[in-house]
Amino acid sequence: MRWQLLIERLRIPLMLFPSLAVLVVLFGGGMLFGVGQSFGYFPIIGLTDLTFQYYIDVLTDPNFFLSLWLTFRIAFISTFLSCVFAIGFAMVLRHQFRGSQLFTFIFQIPIPIPHLVAASGIVLLVTQSGVLSRISVELGLTQVPRDFPVMVFDRNGIAMILTYLWKEVPFIGIVVLAVLQGVGPQYEEIAQTLGANRWQRFRFVLLPLILPGVLSTSIIVFAYVFANYEIPLLLGVRHPTTLPVLAFENYQDPDLSLRPQAMAVSVILAVLAIGLLVTYKRLARLAVNR
Amino acid sequence: MQRFIRWFTIIFIVVAVLAPVIPQIVWSFSFRWFFPDLLPTSWSLDSWEYVFTDSSRVGESFLNSLYIALLSCFMSILVGLPASRAIALHEFPGKAVIEWVLMVPIIVPGLVSTLGIHQVFIRLGLTDSYIGVSLVHLIPCIPYFVLVMTSVFANYGTLLEDSARTLGANPWQVFWNVTFPGILPGMTVALMFTFLISWGQYVTTLLIGGGKIITLPMVLFPFISGVNYSNASAISLIFVAPAILVLVLTSRQLGKESSVMGGFGRL
Amino acid sequence: MNKKLFSVLLIAVLIVSAFSTGMAQDGELLGEVPGYESWADVLAAVEGTTVNFFMWGGSDTINSNVDADIGDPVLEQYGITLNRVPIADTSDAINKVLDEAAANVEEGTIDLIWLNGENFRTLKDAELLYGPWSESIPNAQYVDWEDPALAFDFGTPVEGYESPWGHAQFVMEFNTALVGDEAPSTFEDLQAWIHENPGLFTYPSVPDFTGSVFIRHVFYWVAGGPEPFLGEFDQAVFDEYAPAVWEYLNDIEADLWRGGETYPATASVMDNLIANQEIAFHMAYGPNHAATNILEGIYPDTIRTFVFDTGTISNNNFVAIPFNAPNAAGAMVVANYMLSEEYQAEMTNPESWGWLSPISPVVYSEEFQATVGAYERPESVLAPEVLNAAALPEPSAAWVTAMEAGWTENVLEN
Repeated sequence: MRWQLLIERLRIPLMLFPSLAVLVVLFGGGMLFGVGQSFGYFPIIGLTDLTFQYYIDVLTDPNFFLSLWLTFRIAFISTFLSCVFAIGFAMVLRHQFRGSQLFTFIFQIPIPIPHLVAASGIVLLVTQSGVLSRISVELGLTQVPRDFPVMVFDRNGIAMILTYLWKEVPFIGIVVLAVLQGVGPQYEEIAQTLGANRWQRFRFVLLPLILPGVLSTSIIVFAYVFANYEIPLLLGVRHPTTLPVLAFENYQDPDLSLRPQAMAVSVILAVLAIGLLVTYKRLARLAVNR
Repeated sequence: MQRFIRWFTIIFIVVAVLAPVIPQIVWSFSFRWFFPDLLPTSWSLDSWEYVFTDSSRVGESFLNSLYIALLSCFMSILVGLPASRAIALHEFPGKAVIEWVLMVPIIVPGLVSTLGIHQVFIRLGLTDSYIGVSLVHLIPCIPYFVLVMTSVFANYGTLLEDSARTLGANPWQVFWNVTFPGILPGMTVALMFTFLISWGQYVTTLLIGGGKIITLPMVLFPFISGVNYSNASAISLIFVAPAILVLVLTSRQLGKESSVMGGFGRL
Repeated sequence: MNKKLFSVLLIAVLIVSAFSTGMAQDGELLGEVPGYESWADVLAAVEGTTVNFFMWGGSDTINSNVDADIGDPVLEQYGITLNRVPIADTSDAINKVLDEAAANVEEGTIDLIWLNGENFRTLKDAELLYGPWSESIPNAQYVDWEDPALAFDFGTPVEGYESPWGHAQFVMEFNTALVGDEAPSTFEDLQAWIHENPGLFTYPSVPDFTGSVFIRHVFYWVAGGPEPFLGEFDQAVFDEYAPAVWEYLNDIEADLWRGGETYPATASVMDNLIANQEIAFHMAYGPNHAATNILEGIYPDTIRTFVFDTGTISNNNFVAIPFNAPNAAGAMVVANYMLSEEYQAEMTNPESWGWLSPISPVVYSEEFQATVGAYERPESVLAPEVLNAAALPEPSAAWVTAMEAGWTENVLEN
């Protein structure tokens, strides 16, 4: 009898164990090395004493806050716009109409396409000598590449944001769509009979239903954009650039003594991301439960 | 008015989705394509020919990627299914913390963990093997798999299972005949994410398997940083094709199975 | 050891050596290599083995050429399977070696890496290279190790830790459709041209290789030659010339592409800019870069090249063997083949590789010289005499670091 109770008590930990083991041992263990390096533990080049020096160097660099602001701005704008567009598109696609399944499929195409491939595609499109520019020349609006508006390698990060939007809107959109399609029209119909207008129906009936899904996906999207270096490296300006790019360049530098700094920046990024996301989740929960 | 909005949106979506894709398809068939030409001045199949040579290593890496992605899917099921069920259907102390822990690979920048992961794998003797590579792919897959499956389980009633048990079925029978079919649609979606994530891994595969195991991203990414758009586009299309296929297979689930996605609010 | 055992061993050794001398004889070792007594030993060890060669995989022509012109011959002649592992950037391989070293992995995964300059310095300074070996392999006899451009790799002494592969020289490229037949070949003329034609010139940002070397040329011009920068780093000397360099680069900045608001992150970005007439000038470390691109349809055929009147920098790229290479012998055989007459003829063929060689043709046979003499040079490639006359050495690595940091501070960040 005793061992049956034991198994009962162990059941849940056992179920959780494999996943946690993989993440804690493999990922957590890996993180330890990175964190250790950020504190100066780097035996290969002879550094073994732990120190806060690298963090101090990073935080006192004038470029740091400039880059941090840029990183946050891009992540925030991309996430916010993605949510808005995703909700909008899902609202349109949720009805059954001729071809709706096909259009829903087309809507999902960006999901399996890697970000780098998407970025290449966007570049081909919006660069000053790209497809859109050539169409503009055909139409007689511009003549040389320089006439066309700057959308890539620019301070505003337009191409970057477009790439993130292209990838993330379908991701968030599908989640919202699934909820909307699962809900059915009855709640809205009731609300309508009670005299609610379209906006009120959306705000008080649909929005609370889709908010949890939007919350989780937007957390994932924000975390991804916040930490991503490939897209800003490929599509952005050299200075100021985002924090992940700074970290990456320090990491790639043949001068190995810059690595601890790269790690310090990355750890700061991780801490900030977790902080921002926990706060966001708390706030969103409060808003929903109001 | 409503119809106008609807059709305008639809057209916008179609154009926006296809706009970055179509030029790449055209590029893969072009030889010379300069400003301001709207179409290439000369076409060629050179890039596609290269793709199918031995030197490109596309064939070999394609099969490796496929094998590893399938292994990762299999491991995700083994590892992620029990965890998702525990989180969805049970309460226990520290649950919120554990949920965040399971999300950690998504939030922490790869730079911090990648080098360390390599160290850990070396010390555990997991490098240079298909299992090792699938395992390292599992790390970013788990959060997505668990996220989806917890929502599936949350919307899943245990009533049928209980009935089956009362009728005398053993645990395996309950799982195989009741649970599994019930969660299958949602699991297809979870596996789609797992497959796509594994399919696109570059740095982790290079470190853990590199040398002996060559995957499709390892062949593709150098071209993306190169200058030959034609080659990059052709290989990109090969890379994307199976992923799109997976999407086709699962899109029927994505559109319909609201319990899967709606519960994405598990986080 | 008793007498009987001794004689048995002696006979065994004699028999074995008798067999060894019967194998493919490609020459003798010129010096010592770690772990092997003779070149015959090396050759014996490599039969049936695999060499993992990590090199940048972004060019389909280089990939196919390596497989066909190095991979096939070494398989045929030595029984070596060349496993070419494509990587997106050399640093990927460097990081792998570093990681393996940190974990004390004695038998790693990389046998041979294509690299030079700072990547070489990283591994050599951290003592993570196998060797010394490159001056000892048989075909090293063809290499002029007295040449400072081969004895030093960006100022780091090679000392036998890497073997030469290709030779590069910096050239400027320009679009005759936008610039005309003659390009401005002095820095003064270039500056004037930029002011008269705003928006059509730029250079890659540091830390890109090509951008970095462009800045070095400006330093050489300001100082009247490379001499001040060839030795140990001297802050006073640097401070003497740097202000004029920043002044020049800041002066042209407003009339650069994008108004100087940003610089291309890599040289490859510029390939497509010049092809599409967004810019009129480009620069490359390969005199054949333009010709190759024209052949592959990446460039229109109006692109030509030129060098500065004050000369351009040339350097070499190499292959190196990590300390924990599982098949160092195989790697050495491959590197040795890269220096062979047979391969060099193919490598310098404009219709095949179209690379420049770090080896002067005169060290090879008459036949070789006749063959390469007959090669037809594409119009966009400058004559060897022109290139050689303009060749300048690289400064040592410490200068490069200072120049790059100085540029970032004084020009990029304005």
